[in-house]
Amino acid sequence: MKKCKKVLAVLLTAATCLAALAGCSNSPVQTKNDSESQVTTNETKDDGADNTAAEDTSASAEKEITLNFWHHYSAQSAENDTLMNVLIPKFEEENPGIKVNAVSHEWADLHEKLLISAQSDTLPDVARLDSAWIPEFEKMGILTALDTEMSDYGDVAAGLLDSAMSTASVGGHSYGLALNTNSKILFYNVKALEDAGIAVPKTMDEFIAAVKTLSGANDNGQQVWGYNEPALAGWNLCPFIWSMGGAITNEEGTKASGYINSPETVQAIQTFADLYAQGCITGWNSGDIPMTDGFGTGRYMMLLEGPWKIAEMQGAYPDFEYAVTEIPAGKGGSISVLGGEDISMFNSANKDAAWKFMKFMTDPFAQEEMAKCGQIPVNKEALNSDTVKNASFAPFIDAIETAKSRPTVACWSEMDSELSVAVSAVMNGEKTAQEAMDELAGTFDEMLAK
Amino acid sequence: MKRKTITQIILHLFLVSALIIVVLPMVYMISTSLKPNGALYEYPPRFLPGLKEITLENYSYVLGQGKFYVNFLNSFFVAVCSVFLAALIASALGYVIARFSFPGRNFLFSFIVLTMIIPGLTLIIPQYQLAVKLNVINSLAGLIPFYTAWTIPYSTFMIKGFVENIPRELDEATYMDGGSVLTVFVKIIIPLAKPGIASVSIFNFLTAWEEFPWANTVINDNLKRTIPIAISGFFGQHQFTQWGYVFALSVFSLLPILIVFIFCQKFFVAGLTSGSVKG
Amino acid sequence: MKISKKGKFQIGLLLLPGLIIFGIFTVYPIIKLFIMSFFEWDFGNIFGQHFIGFQNYKEVLNDKYFQVSFANTIVYTLVTVPGQMILGFLTAFLINQITRFKVGYRVLYYLPVITSWVIASLVFKYVFNTEGLLNYFLVNVIHIAPQNIRWLDTRWGGLTVAMFLGIWKGIGWNMVVFLAALQTVPADLYEAASIDGATALGRLFHVTLPSIKGTILFALVMLTIGGFNVFTSVKMITGGEPGHKTDVVLTWMYHKAFSTGAFGYSAALSFIITVVLAVLALIQFRMMQQKN
Repeated sequence: MKKCKKVLAVLLTAATCLAALAGCSNSPVQTKNDSESQVTTNETKDDGADNTAAEDTSASAEKEITLNFWHHYSAQSAENDTLMNVLIPKFEEENPGIKVNAVSHEWADLHEKLLISAQSDTLPDVARLDSAWIPEFEKMGILTALDTEMSDYGDVAAGLLDSAMSTASVGGHSYGLALNTNSKILFYNVKALEDAGIAVPKTMDEFIAAVKTLSGANDNGQQVWGYNEPALAGWNLCPFIWSMGGAITNEEGTKASGYINSPETVQAIQTFADLYAQGCITGWNSGDIPMTDGFGTGRYMMLLEGPWKIAEMQGAYPDFEYAVTEIPAGKGGSISVLGGEDISMFNSANKDAAWKFMKFMTDPFAQEEMAKCGQIPVNKEALNSDTVKNASFAPFIDAIETAKSRPTVACWSEMDSELSVAVSAVMNGEKTAQEAMDELAGTFDEMLAK
Repeated sequence: MKRKTITQIILHLFLVSALIIVVLPMVYMISTSLKPNGALYEYPPRFLPGLKEITLENYSYVLGQGKFYVNFLNSFFVAVCSVFLAALIASALGYVIARFSFPGRNFLFSFIVLTMIIPGLTLIIPQYQLAVKLNVINSLAGLIPFYTAWTIPYSTFMIKGFVENIPRELDEATYMDGGSVLTVFVKIIIPLAKPGIASVSIFNFLTAWEEFPWANTVINDNLKRTIPIAISGFFGQHQFTQWGYVFALSVFSLLPILIVFIFCQKFFVAGLTSGSVKG
Repeated sequence: MKISKKGKFQIGLLLLPGLIIFGIFTVYPIIKLFIMSFFEWDFGNIFGQHFIGFQNYKEVLNDKYFQVSFANTIVYTLVTVPGQMILGFLTAFLINQITRFKVGYRVLYYLPVITSWVIASLVFKYVFNTEGLLNYFLVNVIHIAPQNIRWLDTRWGGLTVAMFLGIWKGIGWNMVVFLAALQTVPADLYEAASIDGATALGRLFHVTLPSIKGTILFALVMLTIGGFNVFTSVKMITGGEPGHKTDVVLTWMYHKAFSTGAFGYSAALSFIITVVLAVLALIQFRMMQQKN
């Protein structure tokens, strides 16, 4: 017993020392943050869920506002570093009295967490949202209509790209500011294509042929795949469906039968399934090599990815030689999927502070900083800056011109997850593409009618 | 005599070879945490890193730049508080149920035992709503009372057993000296049931230290996350995962448990066996 | 013994904190869960919950995803419970025979038990990765598999990994429990059996096992509960993929509740699991008593 107590005491001391040590080894600025963060972690008892205007726990008598900002820049990314070490310190310096508490969630987790928090009235003030989520959250009535509530909305919006701003508008009102835009294009392993003696694929037929040629085994006898697709959601499948002439729903987003199960869509899915069956594509299975590692180590020869991949490859595989080109054209043309995020505030937010932060994140300075880590700006001034001109965004910006956005309907998240389940059943050979898509058409119609 | 020695050697051979399989995953975890991050998709994969390759970069990231010691302290704070509360409450309950008869005593005890059967996670929805009402979402205070409540049934059940083994004559003697119910609790029950309370507490510590789904649901801020949430936070599903960091942090989070376990292992055993052998 | 008024007051005082914490954080949620299971209650209608009788229960029982997850849970329990018990017992049996290093073995075999579920799951996920160490070993070192096995990508593959993990993590607990039980078997019983000419195997089945019946029952009930409680490992290893085919009841419940917001549905599901588990525990007790 005594021994046990001693061990506990030693552990406790060790933990405390460790905290002190780690705190000191950082730069002075960070040390300040550290000590503060410790205060918050230890005194959270009263702090609770009061997100709107939680009093700062530090000793200062002045009322400080803590602005909660949720996003899905991944925790170990260059974007997150820029946000935490450049943007937020600058914002806090410019706006004394406002502290920003930025929280990183994984993409799917963020969606989940927001739904839960909406249910329990614990939403953050501001969030960076996938633009595909806006209709859903608008329908739940948790987003603030900026055009009616913010007097200077017009001026701010005028500085941002119209096409990007349109992703945040539902029913004539605007529920967010565009934050960044993106699209996917084809990345390929230069050496692999050269070795195989094939030209860069320009059409879908060439692409499929190239995928087959590039698959097989490498010198170590390991399997290699011509193409990688990390998931089977709309974001992944839409470029193929659209480029091959198919669709998810009609233009108005009211009907899916005849679109999701049209011969073109079915053919796109079937093509995927055939390639998978032949061992030429992979990536969405839990046991697969992650995309970046697989590409960088020559196991995946081609991918469709967005501008952030350039920074990621630079960080993880700086010596790897790859190039990019537009999405191979099919019957429907070369159509990529329009991505991008909006920054929105929730109805429960501290609106003044939230608006200040949103304006800051979309101003030229912040947009340029983020452009350095692969986020394509939507601020017109930032787009014309040297940073952006020097960045290799050109092919992506070309793709954006012709890219389409996923159906802007409130039930998109639900449809998206049904789509993944249905397509994964096709991949595993449980259903033919026709069967699965016919079934899905019925499910989608029901969801859209609600 | 000779035959006996041979039997012993065979037994040891069996035990050691099975043991190697059992500890292999742990060794692999440690070895991976010592490899440079780039070497994780090497070919051919190796069980151990080359001697020259061994690096502490993963550890220095996790402890320094990654600021994961904050999560470590959070876990420690939550675990210690829940363990202390549960020990206090469960010994009081165990003492009263073991020693006194009062209306509803049997019902209370059966109900406590019954709740041990219910999978804890099934209550997550109403408990989440409760946490919302109590305003403890995204706060360590949202973990402590729940962990305490979860561990109370098992702790009470065990401590009651220990109390029943304490001779009643000791109680009587205290009453003769003018002691009260509380005096017996403080002077007799707690000191004598200490080994039992200790073993239960070690288990409760482990429970709170490693709990995942509840903390994952309740806590949002990075600086309030406990260790298991911090570890799982390395995963973007199809992004590239830095396994070196993951395992360095894992090894680090196992250390306190390991140390407590090695020094207090007889309590681990006591806690398990007193409940089982009697039955 | 008569208890004075002051004594009664103090008893109340000792009971109070326990009753409050237990009442608020356990009993109230149980009642709330029961009520919720009869209501339509989801993200869409936060304020408009209305009574729908057994509709949620019907929906759960007719849901093919629930049926798959339930079947998975049953398989998981049927494999891991005997797996852990047999291996744990064997280890305890061997350790009980040896004369030296007993404590050392006990400590080392117990290590997986104190490893947290999150960490253990990640290690297993890493080892069983399609490109992982295990496949390399099976394909390129001992050549028993023609190509990499897709452990994590299929229903039974994913469940197999989760079950391996469950057994690996449970051996130590069973070992300690059975070791303690073995030490309580009176030595004269063995001597009597030896005199009657019983073989080693005969002694095991006629002396050892009957003597530790209580412990076997205890382990059986605890492990069955544990089997139904499986969550973290499945969530971390496969996340229910592909297409919810590796979900177990609790991961499916969590998904329905927190990804789709179907709280009423999940409440009904939770209650069904609880009832099934209570019935199972009761049957196990009965079976053991009959054999007495």
